[in-house]
Amino acid sequence: MSEGDAGARPAVRKTTLRRQVILWLCWPLLALWSVSSVVDYDIANRFVNLAYDRVLLESALDIGRQVKVLQDRIYVDLPEIAVQMLQSRESGRLYYLVTGPQNEYITGEPDLPPPPDPFSGRVNYYDEDYHGRPVRIVTLHLPLEAGKSGSMVMVQVAENRAARNEFARQILLRMVLPQALLTIVAGMIIWYAVGRGLAPLITLRREIENRSHRDLSALPEEQAPQEVRPLIRAMNALLERLSLALVAQQRFIADAAHQLRTPIAGLKTQTELALRQTPSGDAQTTLRQLRSGTEQATRLVNQLLSLARAEPTVGRGQAIERIDLRELARDATTDWVPRSIQRNVDLGFDADSQRAEVDGDAFLLREMLNNLLDNAVRYTPSGGQVTVRVAASTTGPTLSVEDNGRGIPATERTRVFERFYRVLGTGAEGCGLGLAIVSEIAQSHSAEVTLHPGAGGTGTIVSIFFPALSHDVLPAPLSTT
Amino acid sequence: MRILIVEDDPVLADGLTRSLRHGDYAVDCVNDGAAADHVLAAQSYDLVILDLGLPGLDGFEVLRRLRRRGASVPVLVLTARDGLSERVKGLDLGADDYMIKPFDLPELEARVRALIRRGLSGGGSELTNGSLVLDTAGRRATLGGDPLDLSARELGVLEVLMLRSGRVVSKEQLADQLYGWDEEVGPNAIEVYVHRLRRKLEPAGVSIRTIRGLGYLLEKGPSV
Repeated sequence: MSEGDAGARPAVRKTTLRRQVILWLCWPLLALWSVSSVVDYDIANRFVNLAYDRVLLESALDIGRQVKVLQDRIYVDLPEIAVQMLQSRESGRLYYLVTGPQNEYITGEPDLPPPPDPFSGRVNYYDEDYHGRPVRIVTLHLPLEAGKSGSMVMVQVAENRAARNEFARQILLRMVLPQALLTIVAGMIIWYAVGRGLAPLITLRREIENRSHRDLSALPEEQAPQEVRPLIRAMNALLERLSLALVAQQRFIADAAHQLRTPIAGLKTQTELALRQTPSGDAQTTLRQLRSGTEQATRLVNQLLSLARAEPTVGRGQAIERIDLRELARDATTDWVPRSIQRNVDLGFDADSQRAEVDGDAFLLREMLNNLLDNAVRYTPSGGQVTVRVAASTTGPTLSVEDNGRGIPATERTRVFERFYRVLGTGAEGCGLGLAIVSEIAQSHSAEVTLHPGAGGTGTIVSIFFPALSHDVLPAPLSTT
Repeated sequence: MRILIVEDDPVLADGLTRSLRHGDYAVDCVNDGAAADHVLAAQSYDLVILDLGLPGLDGFEVLRRLRRRGASVPVLVLTARDGLSERVKGLDLGADDYMIKPFDLPELEARVRALIRRGLSGGGSELTNGSLVLDTAGRRATLGGDPLDLSARELGVLEVLMLRSGRVVSKEQLADQLYGWDEEVGPNAIEVYVHRLRRKLEPAGVSIRTIRGLGYLLEKGPSV
């Protein structure tokens, strides 16, 4: 398992999913806001123009009413005060021009720009530049004498656009700012809502991430929303198929190993028998080799079985019970006494008087210890010592197997836990599964395995640190031999 | 001594039969459960070596029927399966010992001897180890024919060690054996008895090995 990228990948996946949803919601929202701003500006402009134009027209009408004819001379009777009012309005100064029927100048600013189309109706609005400034101009055609359409006077009134532009800007600002605020708030709500909506997926992700590879049980479905359930169901179906396949595979290994045991037993018995009847010589050497071969086959078969058992979701079911490690270790060590005597290895046992309890699978724990003892007894030279120790402490019991054999070089210490790995120069025996089994079983008991050189730098101590039970470890009288 | 081997693998059955015949036992061999049941109903044996995975009638059933008939013959079960539940089931059904294939032949032979001895010990018998002979009924021990001077407690310790020779006997087991004679026997006292026994047995080459933290083991002496 590559733990490194397993940790990094989900983070990327998470932001991508959220970012995508948010992008797809926020960009359209932003576009809508922009379009609405343009539309708003247009509406604001139109209404401001309408209002200002009306005022402009009023002014033109006011001036028009003052157009008088005296002795065929046309003049505009504007009192001084009225002129002052036109020139000092709050919304900007007004310019005016009155021209006669023959387009002759009557009064006002003679340089006011003429209308683009002078005869386009009674009232006409247009935009022009006047003295370098944009202005709005209204043109009004009035009959010189009421009711007669013969001779017309043209009144032009111009107004600086600055005021109305400013007004339009004010209106726009008052409309667009709240909208922008609304958009931002909506974005935040979306951010939060997406987070909430994705929460079940994130929970699911965490559930899967935190799982150990031995846990193939179904994912919880009850809490998940309707949309996620099919995904969970599909995943559970996959987990189930996976676990069935795994069980089938383990069963196959176990069956194969079991099936191998009887023929190996036959081979072993026959070889032993032949050895007894064969005088020393070539034939006996051959038989000895044969015997060591069958022994190795025996060991491999047993270890394959242990490994198949120690792996997750074996059909055997978890037989977890409270176990006193001292009893278990004493029994297992006792079993190894005959073999250690055969190899002239001094095998011993040492335990605290305190109970060393763990919740575990007695069978697997025993397999674990058998593998440790097998290694220790096998690799300790004749005359060496192997000691099994059980120690209780507040952090949990420790089981250790110490030998004063040749030890394992520091560079090899992590590799020896790999399957089929063998330390070079230790002879052909062994198949390198022992410590892999130990580590597998320790893991399934949440225990930690360490490997250190023994006292004085020689030999090896393999220690297994078990977690403490939830309740306090109670000292109980149980004498040790 | 008559032994019945029930084993369907011909190579293993042949190996067992021949090795036990070399040990001067009369050996019969059958290769399926029904035949075993049949033979066991008709004949009496001193020991049955029974494989569990048999064609036809399986080993458990053979054992169940044997015990139902009230036969007390010792049964050594051989099996390729080593699950704890299998072991418990076998022992519950009345198996006397249990060995997982593939086994070491010398160990099987040792267990065969122990089981036959146990089967016979009802009538009070002799335990031997090399030139050492212990008469459990007469409570006397001889070494090469010469009587050994042993106290009652030393005899008790020796008996337990000889009954389980080749296997580890814990101090508790020894203390249990001596318990009830008078006061309780402590571990230190056991050490003293073992020490004395060792000295007396040394000349015959029978040695009691100390197994650190576990107890004692009586090694098989040189055969006479």
